[in-house]
Amino acid sequence: MALKQVSSNKCFEGFQKVFEHDSAELKCKMKFGIYLPPKAETGKCPVLYWLSGLTCTEQNFITKAAFQQAAAEHGLIVVAPDTSPRGCNIEGEDESWDFGTGAGFYVDATEDPWKTNYRMYSYIKDELPKLINANFPTDPERMSIFGHSMGGHGALILALKNPGKYKSVSAFAPICNPIQCQWGKKALGGYLGPDASKWEAYDATQLVKSYSGARLDILIDQGKDDQFLSAGQLLPDNFIAACTERKVPVVFRLQQGYDHSYYFIASFINDHIKHHAKYLNA
Amino acid sequence: MDLYGSKERFDIFPEEPSGRGDRSLGDTRRESAPSSEKVQRPQEVGYDLEKEVAELAKMYGLDEDREKELELLGGRLEKVESRWPPARTEKAGLQGSLYNRSKSSSSVKDPSQSTKQQGLPDEASQGENQSKARADDEAESSTWSRGGLSSGGMSDEWNSQAVSEEEVEEEEEEEEAADVFCSTCKIPIRAFDKLFGEHKDHEVAQLPSAVESEKEEIHKNMCKLEEQIAQMENVASHLEEIFITVEENFGRQEQNFEVHYNDAVQVLAQKYEEQLEALGEEKRQKLEALYEQLVSCGKHLDTCKELTDETQELFLENDKVEFMKVKKFLKQEVNLELSTLPDFEERTIDVSEVEQLMNSINAIPAPCAPVINPQAPNAATGTSLRVCWGLFSDDTVECYQLCYQPVKHTLKVKETYCTITDLLPNTQYEFWVSALNASGISPPSERAVYVTAPSPPIIKNKKIQSCENAALVCWESRDINPVDSYTVELSKLTDEENDDIITESIVGIPNCEVLIHLQPTQKYYICVRAQNLGGSSERSEPVLIHTTGTCFYLNEDTAHPLLAILDDGFTISCDELENPECDLPVYDNSFTRCIAILGSLIPFPGRHYWEVEVEEDTEYRVGVAFENTPRHGHLGANNSSWCMRHIITPSRHKYEFLHSGMTPDIRITVPPRRIGILLDYENCRLSFFNADIAQHLHTFNSHFQHYVHPCFALETPGILRIHTGITTPPWTALP
Repeated sequence: MALKQVSSNKCFEGFQKVFEHDSAELKCKMKFGIYLPPKAETGKCPVLYWLSGLTCTEQNFITKAAFQQAAAEHGLIVVAPDTSPRGCNIEGEDESWDFGTGAGFYVDATEDPWKTNYRMYSYIKDELPKLINANFPTDPERMSIFGHSMGGHGALILALKNPGKYKSVSAFAPICNPIQCQWGKKALGGYLGPDASKWEAYDATQLVKSYSGARLDILIDQGKDDQFLSAGQLLPDNFIAACTERKVPVVFRLQQGYDHSYYFIASFINDHIKHHAKYLNA
Repeated sequence: MDLYGSKERFDIFPEEPSGRGDRSLGDTRRESAPSSEKVQRPQEVGYDLEKEVAELAKMYGLDEDREKELELLGGRLEKVESRWPPARTEKAGLQGSLYNRSKSSSSVKDPSQSTKQQGLPDEASQGENQSKARADDEAESSTWSRGGLSSGGMSDEWNSQAVSEEEVEEEEEEEEAADVFCSTCKIPIRAFDKLFGEHKDHEVAQLPSAVESEKEEIHKNMCKLEEQIAQMENVASHLEEIFITVEENFGRQEQNFEVHYNDAVQVLAQKYEEQLEALGEEKRQKLEALYEQLVSCGKHLDTCKELTDETQELFLENDKVEFMKVKKFLKQEVNLELSTLPDFEERTIDVSEVEQLMNSINAIPAPCAPVINPQAPNAATGTSLRVCWGLFSDDTVECYQLCYQPVKHTLKVKETYCTITDLLPNTQYEFWVSALNASGISPPSERAVYVTAPSPPIIKNKKIQSCENAALVCWESRDINPVDSYTVELSKLTDEENDDIITESIVGIPNCEVLIHLQPTQKYYICVRAQNLGGSSERSEPVLIHTTGTCFYLNEDTAHPLLAILDDGFTISCDELENPECDLPVYDNSFTRCIAILGSLIPFPGRHYWEVEVEEDTEYRVGVAFENTPRHGHLGANNSSWCMRHIITPSRHKYEFLHSGMTPDIRITVPPRRIGILLDYENCRLSFFNADIAQHLHTFNSHFQHYVHPCFALETPGILRIHTGITTPPWTALP
């Protein structure tokens, strides 16, 4: 697969680049952002995958989160893909902001008309890492994943469904229990069909209950003033309870005064980068 | 000194040793041969000494031989040099007499010798006058003056041979120069003489070479003379010492006699007084007796007179009866004898005491007080002292009496030193000593204070604090009185068996604690010695410090009454919680509400790590606090403490990270059983971890203004086990 560089900006002695490629999974052109730290010029670096939330593209994170400094400091390559396939001309894809375009929910859809293109789970799990490892100075053994909101949900499920693949996982205001919240019900129902039992495979809280893989160390930051928290879309308590039950180590921080925005992400991104660096650089 | 040709020297050369011999020249300054030679060096040097030496040498009879030797030398040399005559002419005189002769460079003037000799005295005296004008030369001249120039004397001394032969008057020889040297006669002669004079059968040598060999000889003799001079100097100084000693001894004896004679005189005076008094007393008594007698005589006289008158009246009385009644009255006897003799008793003058005193003057005096030495280094141990003293006089001493206190002791010692044992450490003892001989005891010496060395201190093993890079060790003294300082010795243990090697020593520590810098992950043996004026104590029992990680101990003073520290010193427990503010005894420093305890201060910069083992059902607070954190407060409720708090609610475990009463809202899904606490002064953070799974829980970012103490509190009955000395794990580096 050929990569086409879309943009490149020097940042903290490294480079923030955007590439475009033809995705086999998603059957369309996809863009992703990649930050290459200074260390990447001379050696292989671990890779940290960021999954953005609803309505985001590859741009939001690289422009708003202000993670580059920490990434440079710890020598991490940070990859930020798009949140869904684009320009597929599927009917209804642009109807709502929380389903379809910009709302891939990191699942492999089984329902028509989505199942051809909407395979974000496989894209993130297989195609993208392969692409990145082939084209950039990466250490393929060292990978971690984190995300925000829908991306947080994606990070959690990818880690839970693939024990040992990711050295560490963390999330900002993740959708912890999609089968219980409005967003989840809409999206999972739309992509996977009405059978709720099929949804469980993409629900972090559910997945944790039966998790028995390598030990995880999960860091979750949640703004206390997050409107979606109060709207019951996120349901972190359920996840925590499940983790407590299952003795999955989680540190969940409820951050006073913070909301759902990138301002919140930017405030705590360093802690998350360090959290991942601890495991990726160990 | 220039042996070879300085003009000065030449000037001196021709003089002869005098020392003995005729002093007719009236020259009082005589120098022996050695000195004259010596004087040939820079003339200023040793002028007086030479004089002295000359005198002494004379006393010791040294001059005779030297004289002769030098005569020869002098003579020879004189012959050799031909420059003298001009120089000497002025001198005239005494150096004169011989000089003239010796100088004669011209041919033999034997025949004229005796005549010359006669003439010499005149010249000599002349010369003497003139020479006196010369400062330095005078000395030589006197030396050389052959005093007598008396013919007889001269010739004897001149038994040197050729020299005498050549003695002629100076003036006469000037114009004739010698040019060869007659080895037989050992005089320079003219070549002409060789051929035609009495030297014709003698061996001759060239003048220059003869000169050279003579010079060598002279040089040798010079050295000998120098040695002699040195010897004489020694003798002189020794004699000086003896002079002084004699003076001193005289002084002492004089004093001694004075004292004794004074005593004798006093005794005599006293006796005189006594006798006089007794005599006076006797006189008084006699006079009294006589007076009484006189009085009684007087009375008697009156009585008699009365009687006479009465008798006469009676005779005129015609009454015969009355007349017959008065018969008895004259029966009284009158004692007409003297009641007392006018002579006084014989009184002997008892001078036996004085005799005794006089006799004792001749006996040896009692000794002078000895001088006690100040304490020498290494003279003391913890229980013994070696005391030394000396006697700085020639007194006879049989033994010494050494006294000391506290608790007065007296010992008799034969030597001038004594080792006293069974003493207390770090204690001052006062010593004084007297000398004894048959005559008595000397006054005591000055008192000297000696100090025993201190006892070895005891290191407070349980109160050692350390970290990877340093240790804080404290100890206590075993002595009541303070010591001067402490010395800490540490030795690093290596794998080899030489753990007795001291690798570092820290001296001059004023207090009972020290902060030592160490290497990480090493073992050290540390011991302490106390120091005082007497020296150093033995080593204390050593302690072993392992610099693996940070070590601290629990400060019992701060423990809440309901908090108990178990035997290992690192486990705290709380049994019941009835009333945290109960009436149990409270120390000033202990917590009153929060059932808490502080660990000892962590006074070392850098990173420190320790762990606390907790139980799931125990509510606790663990963290750090400043020394001044309020004891009535709760850990974390103020700005002087930071802690992680575990609370159990019916539904779950709740964790708080408290400082200034505030905590972030944090949920932890796996309750930690072993909490790792990282205190990083350098990076201004305090982090808490689940040490079992290396999970970071929370970090306080705070620039600690002071060093902090670890702190621990229990809120429900339970146990906390504290683990120290752990190497900081790598996973604590981040976040």
